[in-house]
Amino acid sequence: MFDAIDKQLLKEVADLEAIPKGAYNIRKNGKLLGREVSANINIENNPEGNGIIIRVAPNTVNESVHIPVILSQAGLHDTVYNTFIIGEDSDVTIVAGCGIHCGGSKSEGHEGIHEFRLERGARMRYVEKHVALGEGTGKRILNPTTRVFMKQDSYAEMELTQLGGVDHARRVNEAEVGPGASLMITERVLTEKDQQAKSENELILSGEGSRANMVSRSVIKGDSRQDFYVNLIARAKCFGHIECDAIIMDNGVNETIPALKAQHPDAELTHEASIGKIASDQLMKLMSLGLDYDEAVNRIIQGFLK
Amino acid sequence: MIEIKDLRFIAPESDAEDRRRAIVDGIDFRFEAGKFYGITGPNGSGKTTLAKLIMGIVEPTSGTILMEGRDIGNLSVAERARAGISYSFQNAARFKGITFRDLLSIAAGTEDEDKLAAIIARVGICSMDFLDKPVDAKLSGGEIKKIELATTIARNPKVAIYDEPDTGIDLWTIGPMVDLLKREQREYGVTTLVVSHNRAFLEAADAIVLIRDGGIAYSGGFEGALPILTDLSVCGYGDICEGESDVRCYR
Ligand SMILES: Nc1ncnc2c1ncn2[C@@H]1O[C@H](COP(=O)(O)OP(=O)(O)OP(=O)(O)O)[C@@H](O)[C@H]1O
Ligand SMILES: [Mg+2]
Repeated sequence: MFDAIDKQLLKEVADLEAIPKGAYNIRKNGKLLGREVSANINIENNPEGNGIIIRVAPNTVNESVHIPVILSQAGLHDTVYNTFIIGEDSDVTIVAGCGIHCGGSKSEGHEGIHEFRLERGARMRYVEKHVALGEGTGKRILNPTTRVFMKQDSYAEMELTQLGGVDHARRVNEAEVGPGASLMITERVLTEKDQQAKSENELILSGEGSRANMVSRSVIKGDSRQDFYVNLIARAKCFGHIECDAIIMDNGVNETIPALKAQHPDAELTHEASIGKIASDQLMKLMSLGLDYDEAVNRIIQGFLK
Repeated sequence: MIEIKDLRFIAPESDAEDRRRAIVDGIDFRFEAGKFYGITGPNGSGKTTLAKLIMGIVEPTSGTILMEGRDIGNLSVAERARAGISYSFQNAARFKGITFRDLLSIAAGTEDEDKLAAIIARVGICSMDFLDKPVDAKLSGGEIKKIELATTIARNPKVAIYDEPDTGIDLWTIGPMVDLLKREQREYGVTTLVVSHNRAFLEAADAIVLIRDGGIAYSGGFEGALPILTDLSVCGYGDICEGESDVRCYR
């Protein structure tokens, strides 16, 4: 069964208008809806039967994997453990994400625990979007976890997005970055009404010459709350940077706690953090170009979360 | 074009909240249509405040602002922009995730690549590869001023207000910038108000407005302004000033 709501959810989370090219695994309400493997990318159930293993063969380049999850069954709480093994010198894009449609009063939730093992020289772009739609009053809960293990000279770019609709989120990202490897994480979260989101991050720079850069952008509307924690831990000569900005609108609240921990004398760690309302000079500039107050606010938020 | 009557802006002293000070102290002035005004005066004299009052960025304590005979006192910044006033900030805003292209498209009301290219060609002082630069904290002081100028011109304004468009601008660009504003004035009849300490802009102006202590100390031709401009009470540099012709300094 695949209906209009599913279509809309897939469009929102994975930008899909049709069956994707290349390998994919689409999960709906805890069950497999469709799967396709390619010559270089294999997808199989894990032995525990609670998730999938995606194996990208070494030297696979310019391929993508789509693994969206959609949920539209009241009362369902779905948990999956997915493992990604990204072979040596490969270069792939993984599009994940979860869309919840809630039509009733019962809560719905999804916990996706994604573990990535990047082999030597592997490059991965991981795009994860979380959305929740529907008129129902039930709580929509999304708790994603990523764990990234990066071998020598591997590269990972992760874009993690949650733009509205999710009532409760506990987002966890953990990474261990090996020698010469680089990790770039961008997390964008928008909350409104009385939604709550918490993001907990632990990034360990364990290899010589490793790099990590985490950018967090939060927009906190209505009476919502967002908290952001990151521990950036250096165990070798490395470079790490955290940039976290939160824009508070209405009555939102935010706690941002970036922590830098150098356990090696040659570590270079920096952070920038800010919490505040939309800057009035930005608003004035856009209004002086003819935008009304609300339009100006929208453009600033749009850019900020882009 | 713009007429201000008994315009006042009174604010609490920054160091003592209970004392108040007139930052703009009852200014009456008429900016004639199609003319180019050089507004100058010492730091802190109220030039930016006056410019912001006209744009609606700062609300006056009292007084009237008319544009083409119509009272615009109740118009918001956006409404004044749509009525044909455009504004270059002395301290330009920096964004996150907004590019020069975004600002220029908003200003021009089009995303059409050819039209944006035409504006950039018309402005002349910033190149096409500026277009996708983020307007963020990384831009240099001169770069962001060029972007301010371009977005101001892109509005095709009736009245253009430039608050110190030349700060941070390199020596090679000042001349072309003056020429550009003069050309805009000539070709499109733009009423031009330039706040500047730079002789190049003041010489190019049809009239000088000298602001001191929140009031107009002089208005009229450049030559007539010279004695007051060179007066040490206006030039904050006193002894170290190397003279008017060498440093182009008219503080
Ligand atoms: N909202 C405000 N509240 C209190 N004081 C203000 C306010 N706005 C401006 N001022 C003060 O008014 C004075 C005039 O400021 P303004 O920015 O208009 O000066 P200016 O002539 O543009 O100076 P500059 O040449 O340095 O740009 C300054 O002393 C400033 O601190
Ligand atoms: Mg000023």
